[in-house]
Amino acid sequence: MNLHRLGTVIGIELRQRVRSVGWYVLLGVFFVILMAVLALSFASFALASGGNEWFFSLVIMLVLLLVLLVSPTLSGSALNGDRDAATLAPVQVTLVTTAEIVIGKFLAAWISGLAFLVVAAPFLVVATAAGGLNPGVILASLGILVLEVGVVAAIGVGFSAVVARPIFSVASTYLVIAALSIGTLIAFGLGGLAVRSEQVSISRDVDWNALPAGCDPGAVNQPSQCPTYDELPCIENRYTSEVPRFDRVWWILAANPFVILADATPPTYVDGYPRDLFSQIAFSVRLAQKVPETETRFDGCAAPDVPSYETPEEQLDGTVPSWFVGLFVQLLIAAGLLTWGIARTRTPAKRLPPGTRIA
Amino acid sequence: MDVGIDAAGVRRSFGAVQAVVDVTFTAAPGRVTGLVGPNGSGKTTLMLMLASLLQPDAGQMRIGGVDPIADPAGARRLLGWMPDSLGAWSSLTAREVLVATAQLYDLPRQAARTRADDLLELVDLASLAKSPARVLSRGQKQRLALARALVHDPRVLLLDEPASGLDPQARIALRVLLRRLAAEGRTILISSHVLSELEEVVDDAVFMMDGRTVGTDRVAAAATRMRSWRVRLLADPSRGAEAGRADVAAALGRLSNEIGADRRDLLVPFADEAGAVAGLRALVGAGVPVVEFAPAVGDLEHAFLDLRVGPGGEGSPA
Repeated sequence: MNLHRLGTVIGIELRQRVRSVGWYVLLGVFFVILMAVLALSFASFALASGGNEWFFSLVIMLVLLLVLLVSPTLSGSALNGDRDAATLAPVQVTLVTTAEIVIGKFLAAWISGLAFLVVAAPFLVVATAAGGLNPGVILASLGILVLEVGVVAAIGVGFSAVVARPIFSVASTYLVIAALSIGTLIAFGLGGLAVRSEQVSISRDVDWNALPAGCDPGAVNQPSQCPTYDELPCIENRYTSEVPRFDRVWWILAANPFVILADATPPTYVDGYPRDLFSQIAFSVRLAQKVPETETRFDGCAAPDVPSYETPEEQLDGTVPSWFVGLFVQLLIAAGLLTWGIARTRTPAKRLPPGTRIA
Repeated sequence: MDVGIDAAGVRRSFGAVQAVVDVTFTAAPGRVTGLVGPNGSGKTTLMLMLASLLQPDAGQMRIGGVDPIADPAGARRLLGWMPDSLGAWSSLTAREVLVATAQLYDLPRQAARTRADDLLELVDLASLAKSPARVLSRGQKQRLALARALVHDPRVLLLDEPASGLDPQARIALRVLLRRLAAEGRTILISSHVLSELEEVVDDAVFMMDGRTVGTDRVAAAATRMRSWRVRLLADPSRGAEAGRADVAAALGRLSNEIGADRRDLLVPFADEAGAVAGLRALVGAGVPVVEFAPAVGDLEHAFLDLRVGPGGEGSPA
């Protein structure tokens, strides 16, 4: 990897981008949408005092959504678009290596995606200030946004090297993003339900049939020959039922970019309850890690327990943050596609994608 | 150092399509070698393989002794390739295209700038240095692509249809430039199907037909086969064109219908060049007013058209 050549490849890409009008139109539209959301949010959250942290997390989520929607267009036609324009082969015939071309294009797409975060930055600052959140939240969420833009850029560039036609590679990139954002939700839900395990419910209770007629141990003045609660025999009932095992599929949901964003930010709990949207999502996802009990017991004969109450924060004891698992899955996909892309772009080419010319 | 091109038994197919079936040829340093063949004969595929972009299915290639498949980087240092499709990065200026390309060949920034300016001067694009490459005309793009192929001072040049789209003046400039580059000891392989264009510049020719190079013996045979010569007589309004034809036939001792006509010229077939010399002598001796006496088609075109007809085919259709 030669940095001078890598820099040249990135320079060629970025120079074309900053000189195209469409690029500024895209940034402008992005700005206007964020502006509208900010104005609407201020108007609606002004109703109640507090709740601003929810507003902040909403704005970051929206930035993530928009960035996920925009990024594939920046990267999804990087290589096949160049091949169509006959500008790829003249680069390949120079001393630049295939890895330098593909990685240079990936870095260029990443950098141009970051421009959207720069546009979004003032909104994030305003939202943080309004939400009164700690700077750790904004730093962590910005870090995740930067990484997510990179992941999408890598997926897009990878597909553009593997798929012959630009529209199909852009569409493939969108499909992967849809799979990560929505598909993981569906797979998690269906997967958890499909992988079931048996749960035995054992309940012991007083055998009411053994109670002589006319007796009622609950009555104030019952005849003395009647048995008291303690004297009544107990019978045990067993039911088996099936419970979904979300603890076995939680990692699928972990690969969801929105979940990663939510889970990576430091959670804030007030009196044990999640304080913002991020903490709420992170709580729900981590709860899925808990293994359901294989046996539940209820003893009606013993003195009734006061069910111990756990706050959401306490319930998370023993669960692990999932965001780096999810990020790892995403990085694996991104790196895999880039590697595949490099292999498919390598020259001298052994085989070409059907319907393409090398130059 | 010998920096010629050697290819032996090169073959390449795309799926069921046999683009290059069997190519064997050499191109010598200091000479311009023309790659002649009809559309779809595999010229561009061959160029791509020589340019280290495409792997052959079989066969051996050497660019200045370097195998472009085993050592693409080594071959790329030696070769400059000009593609037939002219791509230009959107919104980069002509100068930026050359600077960027030079940097991809590991030239430092300052050296790349100097080189770009020199090349713009060389291909007469200095006045358009700051224009976006995309808005250049086809001929200007063509010259930019040639400059791009020359950026790292390559010893071997592979030029795919370099003259298409050039106006006559630019074509002459290209010819002069190619002759100069060859005189500097470079090996130049140039493909074209515009034969008159090649004729002006090539020293040697490699003929390709249906993915095969045609053996030199067949080319030589084709060159000596029957061909037409163009004879123009001094126009005499008082006599019709038919009269001239009869004069020529009489002087050569042929039948009038053996002699063809092409607009105001007559086409006379001769078996070989010696026959043509004898014919001219006879015409002049008989007092026929000959203004022009020349092969009706160029050497390349003649050989090419003859090969097209196939081995044993009769004469040229001209």
